[in-house]
Amino acid sequence: MKGNSIYVFRRWWERYGVQTVLAVLALVAAGLVRHTNGAVLFEMYQALARPFEANPAQQEQLVNARIRELEQRLAEQERQNQSLKQLVGAVGDRDRQPIFAPAIGRSAHHWWNHIILGRGRRDGLKKGYIVTAPGGLVGRISSVTDRTSRVLLISDPTSRVGVTIGRSRSMGFLRGQGTERAVMEFFDKVPDVKAGDTVSTSSLSQLFPPGTPVGSVESVKLNASPAPEATVKLSAPIGNLEWALVEPNRPISETSSDTTLDAEEQPQEEREDGFEEN
Amino acid sequence: MRRGLDAIVTVGSLLLCLLLLPTRIPGMELLGIGPNWLLIWVVAWSLNRTVWQGVLAGLTIGIVQDGMSSSHPTHAASLIAVGVLAARLQKQRYIQEDFISVALVVFGMSVVAETVTALQFSIDSLWGDASGTGRSLSEIWTYHQRVTLASAILSSLWAPAIYFPLDRWWGKMNLLE
Repeated sequence: MKGNSIYVFRRWWERYGVQTVLAVLALVAAGLVRHTNGAVLFEMYQALARPFEANPAQQEQLVNARIRELEQRLAEQERQNQSLKQLVGAVGDRDRQPIFAPAIGRSAHHWWNHIILGRGRRDGLKKGYIVTAPGGLVGRISSVTDRTSRVLLISDPTSRVGVTIGRSRSMGFLRGQGTERAVMEFFDKVPDVKAGDTVSTSSLSQLFPPGTPVGSVESVKLNASPAPEATVKLSAPIGNLEWALVEPNRPISETSSDTTLDAEEQPQEEREDGFEEN
Repeated sequence: MRRGLDAIVTVGSLLLCLLLLPTRIPGMELLGIGPNWLLIWVVAWSLNRTVWQGVLAGLTIGIVQDGMSSSHPTHAASLIAVGVLAARLQKQRYIQEDFISVALVVFGMSVVAETVTALQFSIDSLWGDASGTGRSLSEIWTYHQRVTLASAILSSLWAPAIYFPLDRWWGKMNLLE
């Protein structure tokens, strides 16, 4: 009886052995790819996409010119702001050094809204860093490999951003819709908002630096359930992004080590979630 | 030697499909959506194979795609469904081998795959943690309508480009064995 079952197994092995081993190998390889968030594939993709990067010199020049213009205006504002803050006694200013990164790809499946940037760990990028573009907020880095990083766009439905209306300071949070328009849900029952108002990240948001431009209100639906809503047109050209700016969420001194960032990660998410229920 | 070459072609074609995923080449996208390359590959693989081989391909490739975009909900479910259905079609008996039929099969399979994904999201939004998917039921199915048509049209148009070279190759390998 026992000899028979061994014989049967040997026959089976001779017939299907190679296939079984190959199948197990394929599954293990797939598991590894998943575990590393597709690092191998994205690295390869980056190497292949490099020659096709959109005219970096020219792009950078254009972006740089625009940035220099804005920086000059901002410097003036910041100086005023600084002196005002000193008068009020507020502390903490941001000293951020943005990193330029080319957008080399889009999400690998259309139910999610990601972009792939051609800069990664080696260029100093980390999970949780903020991605902006000329125009405003784009998203947040959700995973990094050596030379690429994946950005969860604010247009993704899973993305939640605490935002505020520039004019009236009405608070709410922004929910992506998978398009260039997003929905802002207000915390107040009767928010002070009208079409054309600017929307920026709120000071209560832990995941994004406060005051980053997001977009402008296109239409308002005050009788929406469960909370009043506004449709917001995102100001960054998320649909055809070629270059983006990446910067740490906090001053560099605070995020110098990985551990502090990761330790902060979880409570931040929770705080943001708890925040939206208020 | 021949087996090694076969493996290289199979894995190489799959790799090509994986690397095509993040691209949006002008003229190859509709509403920001590109062809579902992996789905085309799974259909090409499963049409002349057994159900189990279809399941295995769907599972393996689904896990890889999870790593590349997001693992919640998993892509494996829709690709396994596609693998099983494509293997059950038994092309030799019911379908003639030409551009139209392959395109039609891929069109149908895209609809199946999108519906499975939409169902996964619906289950999540009904019973799971809604914050994970962030979509309400009506949003999921509105998006499903929009996405299904674009994805199915593009995938079916590009299907022959993947299917015919692979089918030729695997056919030749079978003949030699």
